[in-house]
Amino acid sequence: MNKPMNKLERTLEEKVDSLYLRNAQKNLNVIGRMLVDGREMSMWDHDTSTLPRGARKLRKKARDFARREIRPRAAEADLDPYSFDHKSLIKAAAKDGLMSLMFVPPFGRANTRAYFKNAAYQIAVVAEELSTEDGGLALMLMAHNLGVVPLLLSGSIGTITRHFLPHYIKSSWLGSSDVMAFAITEPGAGSDVEDPEGGAQAKLVTVAKKVKGGYVINGSKVFISGGGIADKVTVYAKLEGEDLDSWTCFIVEKGMKGFSAGRKEKKMGQRASDASELNFDNVFVPNKNIVGKLRSGWANNANVLNYSRPGVAAMALGQARGAFERSLEYCRTNRLGNKRLIDYREVQMELADMIMSICSARSTVWYSVSSFRCYQSLSSAAKVHASDTAFKVTNQAMELMGDAGYIQSYGVERAMRDSRLTQIYEGTNQMNRLAIMEHQWHQEFNKGAINI
Amino acid sequence: MNRIDSSQLMSSDELEHFESLAKDFTQRSILPMFEEEHSDGNLDLIPEILETAFEIGLAASPDSEKAGADYGIWGSVIDSSGLLSSIVLLSTVAEKCGGIAMLLNAQGVASNILQQSGKKIPGNPNRVALCLQEGHTPPYFKTMNKLNCEESASIEVVATEVVDGYLINGEKHYSYSMDNVDAYVVLAKIEDKWGCFVIPSSQEGLSLIDAGRRTGLRACSLNHLSFDNVKIAKVYRIDDGDAINLVVRAMSLNWIGMSAIAVGIAKGAVEAAKLYTSERYQGGKLIQNHAAIKSLISFSEANAKNAFNSVRSFLDVDLNSFLTLKESAMEKLTTISLSAQATTDSLQTFGGYGYMEDFGMEKRLRDITVLKSAFGSPYYLKQFIADIELEGDQI
Repeated sequence: MNKPMNKLERTLEEKVDSLYLRNAQKNLNVIGRMLVDGREMSMWDHDTSTLPRGARKLRKKARDFARREIRPRAAEADLDPYSFDHKSLIKAAAKDGLMSLMFVPPFGRANTRAYFKNAAYQIAVVAEELSTEDGGLALMLMAHNLGVVPLLLSGSIGTITRHFLPHYIKSSWLGSSDVMAFAITEPGAGSDVEDPEGGAQAKLVTVAKKVKGGYVINGSKVFISGGGIADKVTVYAKLEGEDLDSWTCFIVEKGMKGFSAGRKEKKMGQRASDASELNFDNVFVPNKNIVGKLRSGWANNANVLNYSRPGVAAMALGQARGAFERSLEYCRTNRLGNKRLIDYREVQMELADMIMSICSARSTVWYSVSSFRCYQSLSSAAKVHASDTAFKVTNQAMELMGDAGYIQSYGVERAMRDSRLTQIYEGTNQMNRLAIMEHQWHQEFNKGAINI
Repeated sequence: MNRIDSSQLMSSDELEHFESLAKDFTQRSILPMFEEEHSDGNLDLIPEILETAFEIGLAASPDSEKAGADYGIWGSVIDSSGLLSSIVLLSTVAEKCGGIAMLLNAQGVASNILQQSGKKIPGNPNRVALCLQEGHTPPYFKTMNKLNCEESASIEVVATEVVDGYLINGEKHYSYSMDNVDAYVVLAKIEDKWGCFVIPSSQEGLSLIDAGRRTGLRACSLNHLSFDNVKIAKVYRIDDGDAINLVVRAMSLNWIGMSAIAVGIAKGAVEAAKLYTSERYQGGKLIQNHAAIKSLISFSEANAKNAFNSVRSFLDVDLNSFLTLKESAMEKLTTISLSAQATTDSLQTFGGYGYMEDFGMEKRLRDITVLKSAFGSPYYLKQFIADIELEGDQI
């Protein structure tokens, strides 16, 4: 029988080691030990294990896709966004079913059980994973959902069967690289179209005039994500002679006479994703391309934002996580003096702070998509919180790396640049704060009982 | 107690003169950089811009015959008339372009170190750059004070005395400079002390490695330098046996200069935001009347103003003291943070346009983000300040 080691002979390292919970738990009784979660797993695996089965599989698939397809393209696409081959990436994503997650089989590839529990959950999970590798390429893939979702949210059987399902079948079954874009912003109206008070006074110039068999659209839209590469665009236009409450959504297709993509914006980040101006010069759109009912555009747009904002929040979360992971890798592989960076307690505290922020953002994002329909206040809260967190965390990640933080080849500064846009698009964070108040105003804030 | 007789400090009239000189320079020389579509301005114009900066005495020089030797940025008068003129020049230039200001700061710091020695360097170098940092952060305090201390980072660029001079070996990192400098001012270890050496850029064994594409401040060159048995004559050593004071001076000047640049960037951003919001309509009214914009502008302005006041407090300091070193580290830590907040908030008032290259706001944010991490990021500065505090009485 081995003689127990004299406790006085143990080294300091051994003494410290014996106090870690993973070792000290042996001193508990059986039940006590069972109550310690001592599973050796990453935080990612831990969080994944809490998801419904379908979402769990999807999360793993999206992470593999991001590492396989996005990681090798990321640096080049950021540096030279105008000449990289976006179609091959879209095709790969479509084949993996990542471009058709807003509907269930046989048309889409969302997990049925998870979908009917919380429809946007799977999109949020995928958006985070894709964005860890590159915000721009992730946006290029995710913006497609934004283009498609007005069709689904229109609730119109005609729109869904004529446009949504055929598009999904092509993507989901055939791996088509066709994508759609969503166009609301105009040169003189950005945040206005995301807020009722602003909208009522907005100076919108895109107008649809009734003609025989359809409408003729004139005007322009700006900053349209994926606008330059889209095959179809969901475009919102006022009806001639009417106010914004006449807003109607139309599907404008590439090749329609008078429709053209103009200037491609040069952006600080998310550079791999196209942001283009779209011009409409007497574009005839047939009646069959009206999305839902005439004058349903404002409501449709507002609800699209409810569903898209958690997606943006998830992208911001992914960007923060990507920056954190790359910064951690730097701390593991670089030394300051005679120690690895990660071995300094000061560095560990900074990393822990970033982890806390990421956990908090993820909780908010997942919470915001926890019911079947997206809820305005929670969507906006998630978008603001996650994007502010992402900008903070990506800056921390850069700072931890000192001068190496701003060198592009490390990929951390790219996440910082990418994350800054999430505080602006899908409504600036200021507009989203107002959206939180607006939604709850009539529900509770302007009345007696408050139960937040 | 003040180090300089207050009567010798720059008067407000003199400071106004410096400010107007810098404003005139930015109008005539820097603004043409931004006439065409370039995310960082037309960098091809930089040689011409620098030529003007030397001609009008804005850029300092170690050569006492040159226009900027005394009154250029970090020129010789800072020890008699205070730092404010250089701070004003840097921040005014940075209102338009942080990268050009960083170039002038780098030239100024290296020139000032050379001027301190009072020694004549063969070849009379004019364009100079400082090489101090190794790895991703400047030296930690322990490293500076005790070069062979086992607990701390070591300095690996080593000078060895040989019969007719010195041999230098090792690598320095993240050296900001103009293009085509004449000589590098290298702070290296010699035995257990610091030594300061001037190495002509054409010296055999010296090679430059481009640090790579970066987020901002792209008007500057940024290089790593490799010294492979670089041999120099004794006349190229400019310290008197221990260059610790020059290390302290270089770090302090760099941090104060970077703070001044950050203040300028923030000021430029706030002014641009105020102008934009006073012209842009949304929802039927000027956006400057929206509550969210008011809040963003007010906070930006307050942060920029506080940063400005803070950096201007460096009127008269002893640049060779550890107290100044600590205070300049604190200055960089807080001023750049305030300025970065002011810049990002100003950008936000532009909405989507702030993120596009056209309005120059994203460039300001990129530039100030680099300033934050360069030559001591906030995280490292905090450790550095604590180290000075803890070990100050051992000096």
